Amino acid sequence: MPPKRHIMGLFKSEDKVVAAINALKQSSYEFIRVNTPIPSHKIMDALKLKSSQVGWFTLCGGILGFIAGFALAIFTATRWNLIVSGKPIIAIIPFVVVGFEVTILGAVFGNVIGLLTQTRLPSFRWFKYYDARCSGEHFGVLAACEPMQEDGLKDFFQEQGAEVRIFETIKESPQL
Amino acid sequence: MIENDTKNMQINQTKAYWVFFILVAIGVATFIFGLASGHPERAWQAYLINFLLWSAIAQGAVLFSTVMHITKARWSGPISGLSESFTAFFPLSFILFLLLFLGRTHIFPWLHEDLHGKEVWLNIPFLFWRDFFGLLILYLLGFAYLFNALQLKFDPNQPSGKIRKYIYNAWKQNHRDPERIKGRMTIYGGLYILAFAVVLCLIGFDLVMSMDPHWISTLFGAYHFVKSFFIGLGALIILAAVIRLKQGEGSGIKPNHFHDIGKLFFGFCLLWADFFYVQLMVIYYGNIPEETHYVIVRTMLAPWNKLAWAVFIICFIGPFFILLNQRIKTKPVLMLTICSIVIVGIWLEHLLLLGPALSHDVQSIPLNLSDGLISLGFLGLMVIAVGYFLKVFPEAVPAMENN
Repeated sequence: MPPKRHIMGLFKSEDKVVAAINALKQSSYEFIRVNTPIPSHKIMDALKLKSSQVGWFTLCGGILGFIAGFALAIFTATRWNLIVSGKPIIAIIPFVVVGFEVTILGAVFGNVIGLLTQTRLPSFRWFKYYDARCSGEHFGVLAACEPMQEDGLKDFFQEQGAEVRIFETIKESPQL
Repeated sequence: MIENDTKNMQINQTKAYWVFFILVAIGVATFIFGLASGHPERAWQAYLINFLLWSAIAQGAVLFSTVMHITKARWSGPISGLSESFTAFFPLSFILFLLLFLGRTHIFPWLHEDLHGKEVWLNIPFLFWRDFFGLLILYLLGFAYLFNALQLKFDPNQPSGKIRKYIYNAWKQNHRDPERIKGRMTIYGGLYILAFAVVLCLIGFDLVMSMDPHWISTLFGAYHFVKSFFIGLGALIILAAVIRLKQGEGSGIKPNHFHDIGKLFFGFCLLWADFFYVQLMVIYYGNIPEETHYVIVRTMLAPWNKLAWAVFIICFIGPFFILLNQRIKTKPVLMLTICSIVIVGIWLEHLLLLGPALSHDVQSIPLNLSDGLISLGFLGLMVIAVGYFLKVFPEAVPAMENN
């Protein structure tokens, strides 16, 4: 099979990007990604991404931290068995401070692990089929098609009001 | 709870509104019956709890609008304007405070005690005068803020009544330039926020903490005003949810608004629990009998310990785990339910703080039907006040603006 052609439509307006994404998804062309210079809720909504799983990592980290914090305080207290000003050895009320702090620490660690594993970072492939204008004032919508559909996809983007950039096919398999 | 706020805005559907007048009548009747019976102190206890609770709700809800204005926040959208409708309870709250004077012999257990030098601060005339002026200043600032805030929204096409005409004439003498009006809102709003902190501290010290005159917690005042903002937000969410349920998409209140204000509510739930904990922690470590007895009676000894756990679960543990979920915060019905339960929980928390001081050596928690009926009376007053405001100033409701 001949390699696919990659074409990017460069838009200046957020709303046009949203329209182009919706139209692309209904067409026979393969939608690949959007490069945007700013975070955009409208585009995020149009992409209909799966909801992030990072929150679960944070929750599990928090719960583990909560248990670990109390366990740490209780364990260290029982190593000495020293009664201080009439308080019990395992004094729950002050241990809440340690428990609370370690809950937060655990949640933060969980969150970082979640981010590292779920967001596919670090990425070294982003510059493939990338147009530098997407770091300026353009939104780039990247799509792929069979070589014979190239003109069709080009016209499609122009109808949507975009500047079109056709990329040279990169030899090694373009896994984006 | 405030289901009829919106119904009564649609002037044809005023039937259900009467239910709340009946509730008020039942509440008043129960209260008077309680006074005439053998235990007037029980009726006054319910009165005091409800006065504190409903006033705090109104004060806390109005605080939301001022804070949004001062911080130039946009996220709250139509909810910010809606919170101003709680100003309508201020005059009622003030009258209820004045009536409290009649029950002074029943609600201040320290009246005939030796206070060891605290008489300078804890005596009836000084207490009532300082709280009188405190509330007066707070409410006047609230109205001054509202006066300017409403002028910006005023829609001359709405059907006009006496109050509207009167205020409209007053506005003519005010500045018309929106920037000047906003400037005034900033001044009055800022002063309201300051007064809120100071006056609610004072109320917390005078009407809640002083019930046990030998007990001191420096942070108690701050605890009281954090709690007030917490339940104020709760009541505001209930009102917004009712309006959203009645008017649907047209209300202009979106799931995002519920999500955001739900997060703030969640935050204040944590802050309330935190203010409770930091007091407990210091008392626990200090271990001074003067301080610990207050906590021991309420959290470790029967019958109050059960109530303490109930309050802790209803107001903190429950909402904490439920509100972690993002989707729940965007659902008006669920938020309405959760906030109503939390407000009931805070009612019980007031009972927990005041009860042991007012009812000594009881075998079971002094709670019966009459407390519930008196509370319903206060609920009726709140709904009538807010409903009346929204009827006179439909601009406060976002849907009316859109239409």
